[in-house]
Amino acid sequence: MCGIIGYNGFREAKNVLIDCLKRLDYRGYDSAGIGIIDDKLQVFKEVGEITHLEKEIPTIRGDIGIGHTRWATHGAVTKENAHPQISPNKKFAVIHNGIIENFKKIKEDLEKKGHTFTSQTDTEVIAHLIEDHYNGSLEEAVFETIKNIQGAYAIVVMCEDEPEKLIGARRESPLIVGVGDNENFIASDIPALLKYTNRVIYLDEGELCVVTKNSINIYDKNKKEIEKKKDIITWDYKDAEKSGFPHFMLKEIFDQPNTINQALRGRISEIGQTINFSEKIEKLLSNDIESINIVACGTSYYSGLVGKYVIEQTCRIPVIVELASEYRFFGTRNKSSLVIAITQSGETSDTLAALREANKSGCKTLAITNVIGSTATRITNGYILTQSGPEIGVAATKTFTSQIIVLLLAALKIASIKKTLSSNDIYYYILRLKELSRQIRLILDESNKIIKISEKIKDSNSIFFIGRGINFPLSLEGALKLKEISYIHAEGFAAGELKHGPFALLTKKTPVVAIVTKDSTYNKLLANIGEIKARGPQVIAIADENDSEIEKHADYVVRYPSNSTLLSCIPITVILQLLAYHVADLRNCPIDKPRNLAKSVTVE
Amino acid sequence: MKCVILAAGEGKRMHPLTFTRPKVMLQIAKRPIIEWNLLNAIDAGLKEFVFVVGYKSEMVRDFFGNGEQWNVSIDYVNQGKALGTAHAIGMVERFVDDFIVLCGDTIFGANDIKNIIKTDNSIGIFEVENAEEYGIVETKDGFLVKIYEKMKKPFSNIINAGMYHFNKEIFNYIKKTNKSPRGEYEITDSINQLSKEKKIKGIFLKEWRDVVYPWHLLDANEEILKKIDRKIEGILEENIIIKGNVTIGKDTIIRSGSYITGPVIIGKNCKIGPNCYIRPHTAIGNNCHIGNACEIKNSIVMDNTNVPHQNYVGDSVIGSNCNLGAGTKIANLRLDKKNINIILNGKKIDTKRRKFGAVIGDNVQTGINSTINVGTTIGNNCFIGQSSSVKGEINSYSKIL
Amino acid sequence: MKAVILAAGEGKRLRPFTETMPKVMLPVANKPVLEYVFDSVKNCGIEEIIVVVGYKKEVIMEYFKDYKDIKISYVIQDKQLGTAHALQQAKNKINDTFIVLSGDNIIDQNSISNLINDKSEYSILIKEHSHQSKYGVVFIEKTILKEIVEKPKEELGKFISTGIYKLPYAVFNEIEELTSQGIYTLSSVIQSIIEKNKNINTIIADLWMDIVYPWDLISVNEIMINHFPSSTSGIIEKGVNIKGAVSIGKDTTIYSGCYIVGPVIIGSGCEIGPNACIFPSTTIGDNSVIRPFCEIRNSIIMNDCHISSNSHLSHSIVTKGNIIGNNFSSITGESTIDTEGEFKKLNNIGTMIGEDCTIGSNVIVEPGVIIGRRCKIDHLKRINKNIPSESKVM
Repeated sequence: MCGIIGYNGFREAKNVLIDCLKRLDYRGYDSAGIGIIDDKLQVFKEVGEITHLEKEIPTIRGDIGIGHTRWATHGAVTKENAHPQISPNKKFAVIHNGIIENFKKIKEDLEKKGHTFTSQTDTEVIAHLIEDHYNGSLEEAVFETIKNIQGAYAIVVMCEDEPEKLIGARRESPLIVGVGDNENFIASDIPALLKYTNRVIYLDEGELCVVTKNSINIYDKNKKEIEKKKDIITWDYKDAEKSGFPHFMLKEIFDQPNTINQALRGRISEIGQTINFSEKIEKLLSNDIESINIVACGTSYYSGLVGKYVIEQTCRIPVIVELASEYRFFGTRNKSSLVIAITQSGETSDTLAALREANKSGCKTLAITNVIGSTATRITNGYILTQSGPEIGVAATKTFTSQIIVLLLAALKIASIKKTLSSNDIYYYILRLKELSRQIRLILDESNKIIKISEKIKDSNSIFFIGRGINFPLSLEGALKLKEISYIHAEGFAAGELKHGPFALLTKKTPVVAIVTKDSTYNKLLANIGEIKARGPQVIAIADENDSEIEKHADYVVRYPSNSTLLSCIPITVILQLLAYHVADLRNCPIDKPRNLAKSVTVE
Repeated sequence: MKCVILAAGEGKRMHPLTFTRPKVMLQIAKRPIIEWNLLNAIDAGLKEFVFVVGYKSEMVRDFFGNGEQWNVSIDYVNQGKALGTAHAIGMVERFVDDFIVLCGDTIFGANDIKNIIKTDNSIGIFEVENAEEYGIVETKDGFLVKIYEKMKKPFSNIINAGMYHFNKEIFNYIKKTNKSPRGEYEITDSINQLSKEKKIKGIFLKEWRDVVYPWHLLDANEEILKKIDRKIEGILEENIIIKGNVTIGKDTIIRSGSYITGPVIIGKNCKIGPNCYIRPHTAIGNNCHIGNACEIKNSIVMDNTNVPHQNYVGDSVIGSNCNLGAGTKIANLRLDKKNINIILNGKKIDTKRRKFGAVIGDNVQTGINSTINVGTTIGNNCFIGQSSSVKGEINSYSKIL
Repeated sequence: MKAVILAAGEGKRLRPFTETMPKVMLPVANKPVLEYVFDSVKNCGIEEIIVVVGYKKEVIMEYFKDYKDIKISYVIQDKQLGTAHALQQAKNKINDTFIVLSGDNIIDQNSISNLINDKSEYSILIKEHSHQSKYGVVFIEKTILKEIVEKPKEELGKFISTGIYKLPYAVFNEIEELTSQGIYTLSSVIQSIIEKNKNINTIIADLWMDIVYPWDLISVNEIMINHFPSSTSGIIEKGVNIKGAVSIGKDTTIYSGCYIVGPVIIGSGCEIGPNACIFPSTTIGDNSVIRPFCEIRNSIIMNDCHISSNSHLSHSIVTKGNIIGNNFSSITGESTIDTEGEFKKLNNIGTMIGEDCTIGSNVIVEPGVIIGRRCKIDHLKRINKNIPSESKVM
């Protein structure tokens, strides 16, 4: 969540650092700072936008420096708490992404030795420790320091007495080295440095790098120097442009007819009647899977829940979906289980930890992710890319639907191998999958209907979402999207559960969005709607286009085109996304950068 | 005195070979084009180099490193966006004072480089037959008057050879150069401006070879192979015939029945034969397998490629890591004996050759008894199924079953 | 020099195709018309293209966000009042002589070059009269433009205006004057300039095609498809016969028994066949499926279409997302189409279908029928008149 950038080269560090920090802007932040060595070490920090910071920095030469955008975890948002943090003798500067778990104890011990601290951050102790351990070699000092600290970190360190080098080190939080000509970079993620170089080296767990203007040396946790390969990044930074849409999120919602086709591209053959993955993935999805564990966080957890219904209905094997933060400590470890991790960025800390646990227990692991080369793709037995292109809006939209498509394809593949679905059935699903893109377009064209409904509910105190079966996780996702960007409290419930408690919350000011599909749960859901209306709230039903009964029961109806029950989740999701977007828009919320949220959660 | 070599170009007209490598890294007689220039420049006495890289720059960097293998020093500058020759040369300003520029995709001779070193503010010029393909140079009393753009009916046969001797002044003119009609910053415009204020000498070159299209690789290959020595390092079994100048690398084994007529160059660690026929002007890379009943003539075969059983390869360029299935043959002559056309990037181009085979990218596999027609281009990672017949332009990742 | 391209219009006469995209984005030979204009302009030494957008601008801006080789900037015309008004929106981005052209006309690079290099202060590209241009008929004397007559009652004159001009910055004064009087078309501005005795030089264009009505796309497609590079990607099974210039996109599979005669363009991610026949001047977009025994000739099939077996399409346009049942027949022949009170006679025309329709099996459509967007047509129907968008034929 914090953004990190380090520069060592021939350009003026100030300009490069400010430029790169602006490119990290999409991650969200509350304060920013840079440190530059120009004879002496100088540090500049400000609360608020990077443009504030930019104005405060005088002209300063110096071609080595570090920069940081802070998303507060320890300590309030203040200038003192912003990074870089410096050591007592003012010669060491540190920037940090992560949480040091044992920092309180370290701080107490240091205070006993006479150290005084100027901030409430955990980062400051790192600077103090480095100064303490320093004996002429910066990398040695950092090596010693990281032995003392527990938790997750990605740090970049510089020292006034060794102004030719930057030291970077990571545990769990991501860190990459950008390789230039007569200049090198260290950063927390790729967009920060794409303008300057497309050659990167990913640092792995426990590794430390020493970066000068012309050399990069990488050491493993035993201080042994290792060779690492350079990856070439093929993204264009222009992929992240709004192209005439008022918000990235809207553009990404409208991208879905495309991204759904992208997720299907090369993987389904209508005439061949097959689902195709690479050889490695097909082997992974082979016959001896007895159960599946899905681990994920946030919206990906909900796509996992949808996946559960899909896989259980088509493959007839049990699926357990767990929050990654729970699985890593308490999850069931079953060697005959396939563990599927869903993470858009491929760097979500909890999910990676869960994967490592699964690997340790001997389970086969599969990652569903959007970023090629991310950690998730490298620590699993196989990965399937969602191929959605970069998602800039903080609230996940197109990546959610693409994740579900990939889960659907995987389910169909497993079902065809296990023969729980006949080839006729598979063919039926292939045809329905191909209709999705068109159906989404239809819904997007009818946005006006959804805007009208958004107007009716935008001033509510709370909004509830209900659904049964596969629509239950959609109700959770609908609620999540709405509260993320419109700041209205929202909750999703299994429709059958309302009467066991939540009914008490229903009033005239708490509209309920009910997802109604024409399947075995239909009548029950109509009954639920009746019960709800009797208590006051307005009911907005999301219903099948062929449903002629629903008007009599709900106050407002939004229709989605007919499809098989398993696949209707996609059009329904798009309706929920549009609803959330327009409510937030009518309330003038900062949709692409909701308060307190960041795009990729890399700390726990 | 530094030598700047421009090596940033993609070489779109060398597709599919340049999908995976920059043009300057294409091999002729087993060395990348740019290495020939490096060696000739070293022969001319230069020791410090600056490579302007761009497209797939890591291939150039990985191959040359810091230059210590050749006992020289090499610095790299990344051009970033391909905005033209003036833009590329402009990037080296902080590295040089008095310097030579060589266009990396043209092969120059050592003597010519020596000559241009001797003369400050000079430009290499050369006489060709097809001057309409190049920029014409007008000189007066040996000094440059103007460099013209390509014209349909050129008034002279003397062209801009792409070798320059500049000093720091040129950078002022580069900064003032505007975009040409085709949207690039051209060094020829900068030079024209410079020549209005300073005298630039035109130096006639004796050796000059330009490679634009894949068949030019074959021409250059032929010319360079004429000069190789006979040097045999591999293991030779009995009953093989080697005629003429043939270079065979270390650990390569030539099995009985092989008949090799030079000039031919074969790399390291290859397996040649038994019973194969390798005819003149063929360059075979490292780790290749040329097997039984195969005939190869006037072709370039890159590293790790197998032509293993009963194949014919004539007048062709084959990339690396390819495998031709048994019986795969490449046609190189039309039945009506007319010039062979090739489709490159969708356009039909006349190779002006009566004999031309195929241009095949990397990682291509062909099934048994497949036939490849004259003038076919096959992209990377293609799969040509057994008994298929292919023609035209086949893009990367295709399957012809 | 800069170029202003007018791309704000809806293209009402091209409905139903323009219900979801501006007319400049309609594809011929798999590229939006506007892209051909960009391609022609960019190699003429133009330093910046200023695009005036309006109707459905996101479609344009999203498509061209990766367009390299030339600087593109956008200005928005909020209300589509007319061509001169559109040009006026670009005023702040221009400070010198410029060219202005419409984004929905195909024009070749040479003609643009000639226009730019013309020595006159004011110049216009004209074309021999083949059919009426929406920009009007022109009368010239030697090469100087004497008069532009928009929508003449009879077919007069030998030349028509292409609507492509080279103008000095001073023209904006003229435009201000007229737009403030409520006159919004560029031809009126030009006429006014002529009346002020300024000489407007005329240059004859080489290749120029205007797209006014839906069926124009078919003839333009037929011509432009010849310029398209031919290359093969995807998977070609055994027993496929490919003749002539055929371009096949990535991840497309051509199944056994298909017979494809170029010029034909097939997009990426498609599945064709087995045993389908695709005949010349046909363009098929991405992700489309053409099932066995279909015959498609001289037609445009756009993205995401599904054409079931034994269907026959000739001189037809099937836009995005159409699902067509088996045994579909588009009868091709003569048709007289009523447009805006005028009758146009076409010799060889099939069916034109708007986006996202669902058509049942064994449907027959008479020549020249235009079916709107999102229509549903039941099985065994015979359609002999236009179907408005969102209708159902039961």
